[in-house]
Amino acid sequence: MTDPTVLTELTALALQAGFVDGLTDFLGPSNLASVVVEGLAKSAIYVMIASGLTLIFGLMGVLNFAHGSLTMIGAYLAGVVMVVLVGNATGQWTRMAFFFGALVVVFIALAFLGGVMEIGLIRELYTRPPIYQILLTFGLTLVLEETVRIVVQFYGLQPISEWQGALGTKPAFMATEHSLGPLSVRGLAAFEILLGLATVAAIWAFLTRTRYGLYIRAGSEDAEMAEALGIDVRRVFTVVFALGAGIAGVAGALLMWDPVWGASVPLAAETLLPAFVVVIIGGLGTFRGTVAGALVVGMADATTTWWFQNVFITWTWLPEMAVFLILVGMLVVKPQGLYGVEEVGGH
Amino acid sequence: MAISSVTRWVENRRLSWPVDHLRSQQVHLLVVLALLAYPGFYHLLTSSSVSNLAVAILPRMDSMVAVLYFALFAMSFDFISGYTGYLSFGHAAFYGTGAYLVILVANGKIPLLPPGTPFMISLLLAGLLAALVAVVIGLVSFRLTGVYFAMVTLGFAQVMYVFVRGWNYVASNPRDGPAIGSTHPDGFEIGVPFVDQLNLAIGSFSGDEVTLLGHTLGTYTVSFYMVGLVVLLSYFAMQRVIHSPFGRVMIAIRENEERAEAVGYDTFRYKIGAFVMSAFFGGIAGGLFAGFKRSVTPESTFYFLTTGDALLASIIGGFGTLAGPLYGHLFDYGVREFLSNRGLGGGLLPYLQETLSQAVLTTTLPGGITVEGFIQAALNGHASLYVGIVFVLFVLYVPGGLLGTLRIGLGGKVSERLPAKLWGDR
Repeated sequence: MTDPTVLTELTALALQAGFVDGLTDFLGPSNLASVVVEGLAKSAIYVMIASGLTLIFGLMGVLNFAHGSLTMIGAYLAGVVMVVLVGNATGQWTRMAFFFGALVVVFIALAFLGGVMEIGLIRELYTRPPIYQILLTFGLTLVLEETVRIVVQFYGLQPISEWQGALGTKPAFMATEHSLGPLSVRGLAAFEILLGLATVAAIWAFLTRTRYGLYIRAGSEDAEMAEALGIDVRRVFTVVFALGAGIAGVAGALLMWDPVWGASVPLAAETLLPAFVVVIIGGLGTFRGTVAGALVVGMADATTTWWFQNVFITWTWLPEMAVFLILVGMLVVKPQGLYGVEEVGGH
Repeated sequence: MAISSVTRWVENRRLSWPVDHLRSQQVHLLVVLALLAYPGFYHLLTSSSVSNLAVAILPRMDSMVAVLYFALFAMSFDFISGYTGYLSFGHAAFYGTGAYLVILVANGKIPLLPPGTPFMISLLLAGLLAALVAVVIGLVSFRLTGVYFAMVTLGFAQVMYVFVRGWNYVASNPRDGPAIGSTHPDGFEIGVPFVDQLNLAIGSFSGDEVTLLGHTLGTYTVSFYMVGLVVLLSYFAMQRVIHSPFGRVMIAIRENEERAEAVGYDTFRYKIGAFVMSAFFGGIAGGLFAGFKRSVTPESTFYFLTTGDALLASIIGGFGTLAGPLYGHLFDYGVREFLSNRGLGGGLLPYLQETLSQAVLTTTLPGGITVEGFIQAALNGHASLYVGIVFVLFVLYVPGGLLGTLRIGLGGKVSERLPAKLWGDR
């Protein structure tokens, strides 16, 4: 039983906020297309910050709270490499080459850090209830973040605001818009989409085409059985943790160039929460689900950002809230996520 | 052994049940007495010949107030997470709900409640509203277990966090959070509502001072006692629940939920019940926080790191021990204050700068920085690093926390086993 006056009032309110005008605008081909491109760029970022998390959870059942901190360290590390190498006169393609060099450096450094963390600390906890891994990695976040803060402050940078020097190492074509047929695309968005695709393809190929990938898939399905078949699961755990940390770092390197994110200490928490949301929406521990989850969250983020920028200008909270509402909605309707298995993540 | 002779005397007299009850509560009594004596102790030491050291090491009185109300929040977190095993990672939602309600009532923003509503009533409402929020969150979240439960509660709390940060009804600049406005200039009074003589106001500037036997108790000391009173009552209420048959079922759910269900308990109801109770006390803690500080931010209330602080307190103090979070948070806060540079007196940095000679401070270390520069860089406001290291060490090597380990060492609950250990079983 709906009260007709309430309905009329609601319609009036929607009209007043320009909802209908906004909707026509939104569904216009050029707007819709640019929202889709922005959504893809955001999805690429989300898939990059979440895939390391999902690999680690899928195999080891460890929900790594330090994941965001690793991304943050990756951003700073890539920033250091770029700021040291790039001068004012450096050309665009040299900058790109340096960036891929920085990606390799960051991946190796973070993978090493992740390996050390797994061997030194997390290995102790496999026999304990899963809550202890959450606790330990949560503690590690505090240590890592504060250490970075000390170092960053020591060099005279502001830890809570984005590192402008690193943002400035971006090649010029990324900061401008390019017309692609009828579309106008930000250079950075295009680069993000390409790098995201490359990362997904690389992880996919690694999981399905290599011997180690086979071990990982076997271990995720049944660690005991895999061990019985002669796979050294302990070593696979270390490799996967290192790999996940490395991917987190690579994601950080990309974020260093994005003015929405940027290298800063709070980046750790800013990436951790959406990464959780993506992983859970997709289904904990399935890589396919994470890709799908990133697409859902990225598109929702881009759509609500468009609505906030063009129609509901006072609703600053809209995009951020949409992400968490999707999480809650998903867990209510289908707790195991899009591609999740029933038992994973339970007690 | 003065206490031992007293108890022996008491036993010989075979006094009635109140004394028996008190005897079984010896440890609680000692802790309460120690807390009661702390302001006097602090005052004595900081005005004595070792005042430099005492100021550096002892937590200040205003910090102790903060320790008390946040410890109540950490206890309420431990009540659900430590006893039923369901990690309530969005517990900050209840703390924030309580804090915001108290401020909104005082600012006259809640219909039907005038700004002059007694604090005890708005505190109760803060708890009830938090409990109501918990019913909604719990009905959805308890369909899930483990990591999913932690994440969906976190999701709810973040939705609320983002929402209050953008809702300009609560404050003119919602990102900075609301503060008490001109509609409620007086301090918030704790005591019996509507009876003026039985109330004392809390707060740093708006609180009451009390003159007792020629000594003036400052606003912080009065706040410490009044907030402590609420925290103590809440603690005993939660402790009663834990020791009741209801509490046994909570522990059964933690140990083996399937079995508890098989025995015939409707575990869903018990979980919701425990969640709602814990949210109630979380809301009370938030209300005390708002009443004492008079201004809150979304970061200090609804943000997930607020839950993180409660988690730290619970783990260091002892997960699944109700009193543990108090000691855990005291430890956490003490370390933070000791290692931070707040300029209000106290802490290691000012102490070192005062006591080390100039020659030592200007010595150059390998790497080209002076001792003073190194102390500045390593200590200035970086307590989280050291707290984090301590936390990691606790998770790895002292999983029971302070109180839990003591419990294992004594072979039972501290409040029962310690007296027995000290003066023999009876």
